[in-house]
Amino acid sequence: MIRMSGKFRSSLIIGGQGIRARKLRTLLSMVSLFLGVLAVIAVQAGGQVAEKAMLADIELQRGIDGTESLYLPQHEKTSQIVQETLQGKKGVSAFGSTQITIGEPNTTPLNPGGSSFDPRYSSFGGSGRYTTVCDASGMCYGKPVDEKQPPKGAAIELRTTTMIGDIRQFRPFRLVSGQWLDFDSAPSMSPQIVLNTAAAEGFKNNKIPAELHVQGGTKNATPRIVGVVDDGQGAYSATAYVRADELQNWAPAEAKPPAAAGAGKGAPANFGRSSGSGGLSSVFLAPGSEGIKQTLKARLAAAGAEVDGMSSQRTNPKKQMESMLNLMKIIFLAMASLVLLIGVAGILNVGLATVGERVEEFALRRAVGTSRMLLTFIVLSETLLTGLLTALAAIGAGVIGFEVAAMMLSGKLPALADMSFPWEAGMAGVIAGLVAGLLGGLIPAIRAARIPISTVMRA
Amino acid sequence: MNPLIQLTGVTKTLKGQEEPRQILAGVDLTVNPGDSVAILGRSGSGKSTLLSLLGLFDRADGGQYLLNGNDITSLPERKAAVLRSAEFGFVFQRFFLLKHLTAAQNVAMALVNGQGWLPARKRKAKVMAALEKVGIAHLAKNKPTRLSGGEQQRVAIARALVREPKVLLADEPTGALDTETAELVIDVLLAATYSGCGLILVTHDRQHADRMARVLRLTDGRLSRANERVLT
Ligand SMILES: Nc1ncnc2c1ncn2[C@@H]1O[C@H](COP(=O)(O)OP(=O)(O)OP(=O)(O)O)[C@@H](O)[C@H]1O
Ligand SMILES: [Mg+2]
Repeated sequence: MIRMSGKFRSSLIIGGQGIRARKLRTLLSMVSLFLGVLAVIAVQAGGQVAEKAMLADIELQRGIDGTESLYLPQHEKTSQIVQETLQGKKGVSAFGSTQITIGEPNTTPLNPGGSSFDPRYSSFGGSGRYTTVCDASGMCYGKPVDEKQPPKGAAIELRTTTMIGDIRQFRPFRLVSGQWLDFDSAPSMSPQIVLNTAAAEGFKNNKIPAELHVQGGTKNATPRIVGVVDDGQGAYSATAYVRADELQNWAPAEAKPPAAAGAGKGAPANFGRSSGSGGLSSVFLAPGSEGIKQTLKARLAAAGAEVDGMSSQRTNPKKQMESMLNLMKIIFLAMASLVLLIGVAGILNVGLATVGERVEEFALRRAVGTSRMLLTFIVLSETLLTGLLTALAAIGAGVIGFEVAAMMLSGKLPALADMSFPWEAGMAGVIAGLVAGLLGGLIPAIRAARIPISTVMRA
Repeated sequence: MNPLIQLTGVTKTLKGQEEPRQILAGVDLTVNPGDSVAILGRSGSGKSTLLSLLGLFDRADGGQYLLNGNDITSLPERKAAVLRSAEFGFVFQRFFLLKHLTAAQNVAMALVNGQGWLPARKRKAKVMAALEKVGIAHLAKNKPTRLSGGEQQRVAIARALVREPKVLLADEPTGALDTETAELVIDVLLAATYSGCGLILVTHDRQHADRMARVLRLTDGRLSRANERVLT
């Protein structure tokens, strides 16, 4: 038990006696306050959930809070320098993109361009095979380029992110099955591949021969799919994630993979020439990686790359979201406060009626030496306790509601699945209850303290 | 030695519905420790008004009020609350017990002052001692609704005694009781004076008044010695 000064403790005890003596009245006060407190709790919890869900989404797409992304210059030495500079460093990851196709060689894949298998989105993508055509009215749409295409075959095209260093420290993909890439081991001769959910869906629903082809490469390999992640792109594209050093085994121009130590000798001449061939195009930096960034720039400049145009950008989704979320929260809180105010009016009403009834009790308490101040505390503590009890009841209801909602919505919002009732919402409920108790009790308390003591003589 | 209470020329005017009325027009009163004083007077003569000045429920308009030689004529309310708690005990015609509390809790109520409460164990000992003094310790756990009128008034007296006050102010404490019970209540009040407590008893009952050391009468806003007792 917290040690309180005698003044507060005794007024709480006496207030508790008062509450117990008037149970029905307390219950009615609680009923009038309940919805208001519950509304405050719901707004706070809802805001918290919305923020978390939105943040999770944005983080998947653009990186966690504070991630700095740096765009690399196109230079023949770029990839080699990046690879050497990042070797063994923490808090940094470089990546590029390429296309790989798995399945029957020399056919048009089921999803040209690595589009998603979702029919709503499959018309997007298809880079190179689609062109944008605008008609007279100004409407633009994608139209397949009329070029000679090989026949359709059992193949799936994957938009592929190649990485040096783990990208997942910046974009927290959720592991759906299997495992994530192993970045610690020496590069394997058969590249590990992690698919996103859309790609995994494609492989599940179609019989695809296990033959891997890297765009621009000449040799085919056997893919080794180790896991499936939700990368937030599932609706739009079939994506794969591979280690850049492993993919180099099948990279264009029969390039030999660089040694694990990162010696520049064996690096392919045209590696990094274009993003289309697995070259590294961007770097993610965790906050505080200024040193690595400077080293990288210096080395690229020394190699003759155009570093002046290297732009970097820091993502802070929290900040971007906050202003909007805050506005929303304020609007909802204002509405909740209105409901709360009705509850306050209820407490106030009951409280004032009670003071009228308890004139003698209050006069008597003052007569036997209770000070005005303490009497104010006693009356206030009754409504504060009522508010607190209401808050506890409302929090209970809120937790139950939260669990039920989480159970029903977990399919749609995977971010909710592992979320528990936010303690901030509980705090908000307690504060709302106490504030309502204070507002509803203050006037009755002041009135009680003003009752003339000689009332006891005249009664 | 200073007298316990010394009033000199105390006046009080109350603002009624109509024009203000002077209720007390220069009251002189001296009470020593262990003294017992009865105050008689017609209804409306201002006996309760006088008690409420003595008990610091209210302040006098004029005159002087010394308590133990200290001038408390126009004491600020905060200090008055401390004195009410420490120096005075009150008993009223109606018992004013709180229905939702037990006898013991009703007595303990008087142990709350501006500073809060005594620690629970000390509190309990004092409450039981006070209930013992008025002879109803065995009823400590009963709520007022389960007590007789006499028992209720004795709980109220225990509440007045629990702080071991220097002055007991009783406003018609026997008004609602039958003769026999009333005698018992007067006994209990008088017993307190044996340990040095001053007692001021407002009553309509001449027989009760005559058990006090002095009998005064309030007429026209002044206190005077009452007539010789009427022999029956
Ligand atoms: N708050 C007040 N304002 C104005 N006048 C008041 C007030 N309270 C009491 N009075 C008047 O003051 C007078 C004295 O009242 P008080 O209660 O002191 O009389 P009392 O002698 O105790 O009478 P009783 O024997 O009936 O109790 C009465 O005439 C009453 O009407
Ligand atoms: Mg009276």
